[in-house]
Amino acid sequence: MIASIKAEWRKNRMRPAFLVAAGLMAGVVALIYSLDWYQALHPVGADRAVTLAMLYPDQFVNNIMAAGFPLGAAVAVVLGALVAGSEYAWSTLKTTLIQRPGRLSTLGGRFVVLAAWMGILTAVLFAGGAAYSAVVALFEGHSIVWPAVFDIAKGIGAIWLVLAVSGSLGMALGILFRQSAAALGVGLIYLTVLQLIAVRFITTFNGGTYKWITNWFDGQNASALLSSFTSPVFGHAAAPTIGAQQAVLVLVAYVAFFVVVSASLLRQRDVT
Amino acid sequence: MTVVETSGLTKRFGNGVLAVDSVEMSVRRGEVYGFLGPNGAGKTTTLRMLMGLIRPTSGTATVAGHAPGDPAGLAKIGALVEAPGFYPYLSGRENLRVIADYAGVDQKRVAEVLDIVELTSRAGRKFGSYSTGMKQRLGVAAALLKDPELLILDEPTSGLDPQGMAEMRKLIKQIGQGNRTVLLSSHLLPEVEQICDRVGVIRGGKLVTESTVQELLGKEGILVKAEPVDRAYEMLKSMFGDALVSRQNGSIRLETDPAGSLEVNSRLMAAGIAVSELRPVERSLEEAFFQLTGEKQGS
Repeated sequence: MIASIKAEWRKNRMRPAFLVAAGLMAGVVALIYSLDWYQALHPVGADRAVTLAMLYPDQFVNNIMAAGFPLGAAVAVVLGALVAGSEYAWSTLKTTLIQRPGRLSTLGGRFVVLAAWMGILTAVLFAGGAAYSAVVALFEGHSIVWPAVFDIAKGIGAIWLVLAVSGSLGMALGILFRQSAAALGVGLIYLTVLQLIAVRFITTFNGGTYKWITNWFDGQNASALLSSFTSPVFGHAAAPTIGAQQAVLVLVAYVAFFVVVSASLLRQRDVT
Repeated sequence: MTVVETSGLTKRFGNGVLAVDSVEMSVRRGEVYGFLGPNGAGKTTTLRMLMGLIRPTSGTATVAGHAPGDPAGLAKIGALVEAPGFYPYLSGRENLRVIADYAGVDQKRVAEVLDIVELTSRAGRKFGSYSTGMKQRLGVAAALLKDPELLILDEPTSGLDPQGMAEMRKLIKQIGQGNRTVLLSSHLLPEVEQICDRVGVIRGGKLVTESTVQELLGKEGILVKAEPVDRAYEMLKSMFGDALVSRQNGSIRLETDPAGSLEVNSRLMAAGIAVSELRPVERSLEEAFFQLTGEKQGS
């Protein structure tokens, strides 16, 4: 599998889609911070001090969480779909499979590198957030106090996990449809529309008897995990129905499920 | 010793199409084997089964001493199956480096194979900007990376202009020298005739024959043009027997050693028959192919 990882990294390290995604992530962080900063400086009935407090370095981990789902997840679905689907469009799947590694080893290398890129995108989010929050603090004359290293690590882990779930979903869809266009279309619709409709329907169906099912949707768990970082500065809206620990377990299970589905499809099907 | 051996190899796709039907194929070590057949005959499907890309419905195959798709076997095989598939955003050289990583081959080999296919000067360009000929060359280079015992090339001259085809044939002849075995799939008869030692002809998914090119062409004969042709025909039949004499577009074909031309000429002349042409002929591979595949020439 080392050979597959080396090959996958060599071909994906400068892949335009990943570089554009990294730039997009950095751009989104800058945009969110810029808009929030502008609103903080031009408050409309809001408490300026509290709003600005949200933008200082000690709160940057909480702010970054907002970029994880659904925006970060959507980017991850697209990348996962491209990584798997374009191998069919370019006929490169057959080229790779007739080299030495077996099918599962090839897929393993592909997933490891996709997961590594999800880590890079997470790092870009955090670096962008940290940098922008430091700029805000310097401009506002506020002292720079960073969150505890453990909190930063937890935040990075949470975002990475959310991106990994969506990335592996995109990869599974890319292999299922043997192309990227359908895969990213279906993936994005599932992520942003289908899941919301399903959750709303199940929540109201039969007086909410089956509402517990919604606690197993990946989107619900991703949202729950990311919102578990919400700072007391902003206040908790309501007691969470899904705990962070359960969310982590469910999301890890989703990653494993999508990888197993990808492996089964790739192993069983002919490459025509 | 055989490098590729199949037994009852069959592939029926999900839509019911029988693409390959009980193929018994045998490729010997060190030979250039031509896998010949019209488009859609089942050549590529067979090759994909040999590479482990497609699972056979039934039958077995051994390739380089292993089951198709076995990593130990793939380590000894280089292949270009149909159009070469590479990453368009990477250069030719970077594409080969990726393949070398997959294959566990030293990166130094990349420069060597680029030299072999004469692509070194253009290896820094992105694959997406390559011409068809350059893409095919890069495909051959990728197939050579492992310095394979068995090289499988599926329609390597497909899409090339005449000059590109000639260059590719020269390249295949060159890399097929020595102990390396080459399995060349093609629907181009001159290509196979020029390059291959033995051929297998596939038609409608069935391997209809497997022999040397010489065996397939049959023995040489003599073509005679003479006047009056009817008298010449009768006389030659009396000399060689009915089975060895046939009429062909106003000429007479004798299935006999061309060394006997002198005697044929003198006997006809002595009988007062004017001979305007007398030359050795052999059945072209094209004729043999169309006869075997049941297709009409020029159709």
